[in-house]
Amino acid sequence: MIKITNLEKFYRTEEVETIALNKLSMHVDTGEFVAIMGPSGCGKSTLLNILGMLDDPDEGSYVFNDIEVAHFNERKRADLRKHNIGFVFQSFNLIDELTVFENVELPLIYTGVPTGERVKRVEEVLDKMQIMHRRNHYPQQLSGGQQQRVAIARAVVNKPKLILADEPTGNLDSSNGNDVMELLTDLNEQGTTIIMVTHSEHDARYSHRIIRLLDGQTVMENIMI
Amino acid sequence: MIKNYLKIAWRNLVKNKVHTFINVVGLSLGMAVVMLISLWIYDELSYDKYFPSYDHIVQVMQHQTINHNTITQVDIPIPLGAKLRQDYGQDFKYIVLSTYTDQHTISHEDKKLNHSGKFMQAQAPDLLTLKMIRGNRSGLSDPSSIMLSSSLAKAMFGNADPMNQLIKIDNTLNVKVTGVYEDMPQNTSFNDVAFIAPWDLFMTTFPYLKRAATQWGNNSWELFAQMNPGVDVNKVSADIKYAKLRSILAQGDKIGASFNPVLFLNPMSRWHLYSAYFNGVNIGGKIEFVWMFGVIGLFVLILACINFMNLSTARSEKRAKEVGVRKTLGSDRKQLIGQFYTESLLMSSLAFAISLILVQLALPWFNQVADKQLVILWDAPVFWIIAIICSLLTGIMAGSYPALYLSSFKPVKVLKGAFNAGPYAKLPRKVLVVLQFTVSITLIIGTVVIFRQVQFTKNRPVGYGREGLIQAQLRTDVIHKHFDAIKYDLLKSGAITNIAESNSPLTGVWQRESGLSWRNKPAGLQDDFGIIPVSFDFGKTVNWKVIDGRDFSKEFITDSSGIILNESAARFMNFSHPVGETVKKDGRNYKIIGVVKDLVMASPYERVTPTIFFIIDFPGNIVSIRINPNISTHDAIAKINAIFQQYDPDSPFDYQFTDSEYAKKFDDEERTGKLAGFFTILAIFISCLGLFGMASFMAEQRTKEIGIRKVLGASVFSLWQLMSQEFVVLVSISILIAIPTAYYFMHNWIRHYYYQAALSWWIFVITALGGLLITLVTVSYQGIKSALTNPVKSLRNE
Repeated sequence: MIKITNLEKFYRTEEVETIALNKLSMHVDTGEFVAIMGPSGCGKSTLLNILGMLDDPDEGSYVFNDIEVAHFNERKRADLRKHNIGFVFQSFNLIDELTVFENVELPLIYTGVPTGERVKRVEEVLDKMQIMHRRNHYPQQLSGGQQQRVAIARAVVNKPKLILADEPTGNLDSSNGNDVMELLTDLNEQGTTIIMVTHSEHDARYSHRIIRLLDGQTVMENIMI
Repeated sequence: MIKNYLKIAWRNLVKNKVHTFINVVGLSLGMAVVMLISLWIYDELSYDKYFPSYDHIVQVMQHQTINHNTITQVDIPIPLGAKLRQDYGQDFKYIVLSTYTDQHTISHEDKKLNHSGKFMQAQAPDLLTLKMIRGNRSGLSDPSSIMLSSSLAKAMFGNADPMNQLIKIDNTLNVKVTGVYEDMPQNTSFNDVAFIAPWDLFMTTFPYLKRAATQWGNNSWELFAQMNPGVDVNKVSADIKYAKLRSILAQGDKIGASFNPVLFLNPMSRWHLYSAYFNGVNIGGKIEFVWMFGVIGLFVLILACINFMNLSTARSEKRAKEVGVRKTLGSDRKQLIGQFYTESLLMSSLAFAISLILVQLALPWFNQVADKQLVILWDAPVFWIIAIICSLLTGIMAGSYPALYLSSFKPVKVLKGAFNAGPYAKLPRKVLVVLQFTVSITLIIGTVVIFRQVQFTKNRPVGYGREGLIQAQLRTDVIHKHFDAIKYDLLKSGAITNIAESNSPLTGVWQRESGLSWRNKPAGLQDDFGIIPVSFDFGKTVNWKVIDGRDFSKEFITDSSGIILNESAARFMNFSHPVGETVKKDGRNYKIIGVVKDLVMASPYERVTPTIFFIIDFPGNIVSIRINPNISTHDAIAKINAIFQQYDPDSPFDYQFTDSEYAKKFDDEERTGKLAGFFTILAIFISCLGLFGMASFMAEQRTKEIGIRKVLGASVFSLWQLMSQEFVVLVSISILIAIPTAYYFMHNWIRHYYYQAALSWWIFVITALGGLLITLVTVSYQGIKSALTNPVKSLRNE
């Protein structure tokens, strides 16, 4: 599904040039659950942003579903992204002004799903995440675990092929964290590819494979069986 | 502590440049407008207060009714002066007859100047309590004397002593200077009276004045008076009500009596600001402008204060964290209040300083537009006290929200990030934006309507050719005596194509008469015609349009008793074929030989007066000259001047272009339009500044939301829509309120005009669209900017 080769990304300020990704190569197959680990500043988030087509690489190739996307313009990337990729963030990133239902509905609006279909799909996914009873609440009325469920619901409502999760349990206690990891595992078992950045060895054990980064390069891969 | 406050306040101002810019520029514009308007209002309200007897001076006026239509006038007959003195003398300290203020030639040896002045009875200087620089106030008791204003004395005699110098008025009256008075200021009713000469001298100038001295029906003069102390003006006003009617009946003037003259005393305090009458009832006057501009000024300042408050509340979320930190570090609420007030006061002081500069820069232009001589009262402590109090109040008003509201935050709550102002916190902000745009859009519509009315009236066909026409007032009969020779010389010089005499300029109707008769005139119909004696070539000079019959011609000897009607007169007399009919005036029969298209001579906003043109058989007081179009105006004027000087060396040739004289009729409306336009632009500018500020803070606040939406696939267009729609909705609400409001006010305003431009629907539609467009342009910059931001950046800030 994903094949990146010699990927490079620099951050420049006036004085220094920082290398975030240094000739990084890796691949992820369809249906895999991959965890990316490494110390702060090793390039995990940069990699995730590029994989999520929120950012573009300076050098190298990024093939997504047999399409070279490294040099796609903003509009094409956005188009590919909204149909194929769902995001889960550490800080949930729900919109405070919208209700649970409206937050989850948002990706469907942007992909142009008709109203009737939208209601059906949102209800379906809220049901699955067991937060249907909270559909008219605002994010600040929910606990962290509930907020992350909403965020996951929002990520999967469009039935994406790939979910990118950036420390999804970072803001949660261990019990809520485990719930979230179970949810992700379920999704993976139903066929969704998942790439997750995490600091937690515990969470990483839910994945099939761990890629460890240091200074923008892959230093080790562990296969978890 | 104060120093610390100031330091931090200053850093905050510098750090938030956009915010500071919007607030300071907005506030200083608002303050500048208020200052300009206050100076203007002060000037208007202090009108005539220069005169120490302000509270006791009155003008005698009268209402007269013609065909159920009551007109109110300052014009009174001469015998009224003596009558009041005789019957009501105990109520008045001074009673003074006067001529209208009029231009006269004042000459001394070779020096000739045209200046306006009055002939007044001898007590005039006492009545006005003139401030004498030379001589004393009894200077007019000698019938061959004159008193000069100090500026005229200076212009006439330079540094030489003006006292007892000999002067000629209009080259005929020999007078001696018996006094020099301080110029009466611009904001007085007598500001253009450069000299005062004795009434008794005036009475010797024309033979007809002997008759007029006893005629109760000849209303061509003014009467001023000063009440005795303690006398009730209203009571005396009621007492004298029918004094004229009784006298005119006694004189047997039935026509004069049929106008039912009602006298009243008009106190000086009402001359300038309350001079408008409709059907005998005072309907205000300039006071409306005082109110209008006062309200506008207040609104503009409020708009600027609204910006301040709106931006502060919009920023409250950011500052809430600061408040939390400060409180955690031990600041108590009082100190925070002090901090916030210091910031707003610093800002309003900065704005005040800038506004002083703005006012100083704008004054020359403002004075020109407003026709005033306003100055900043740098040396008046009152001005400074009021100004400083006002800017302090502005600062306190604008700063009260952040000072009182933000300082009350609980630190734990805001630091946890749980701070949420809730849905109601935004409501006042929205209401304020709606208020801002309601005011702005109402002002836009008002200005457009005023300009359109002026333009519409300007385009009104005037019935003659204004371009290339000049007119000059004649003060002696010299030109008349040599008229044919002058005409011959002028034509020969190639400077002109025609010249004619008349008794009114094309831009006025100076003579009106009633009591004319014609065939089938309905009994009881009161008539009031404009009477304009003209020479034979008048029509050919001014290019009027004969629509029936023919123009005057020297080839017909009978034309000396022929008359030409304007359309309105023909309609009033109700002739189906006016040409050939006879009109009787003063016992003499005149035959109608032609009808011309209406000439707009008096107010272009009013109905054209029914007017009759006669052949002039006495010296006219106006010449109209059509300049040869094949020669430059400058050369033509030089040639005309030379020829006039040759025949009448004692009178300066004083001419006006007819089109610019006509244009003067629009001065008041254009002035109002320009001022309203000026304030409107400022109001819109200030409102847009506020909108821009709001949009930028909203964008800042919603950065995260926009980032999330982008990650979820929102397009730039949909984000721009999201960011703009709230403002568009608010402005749309403003439009819905502003349109009926503006319609109500402008409908009332335009009703006063007979000749009026329709309040077309498109004015409202275009203004509404314009308002929306301005809004979109203002908020789009921020909307698009934030929509284009890479979401990675905004989300990483977490």
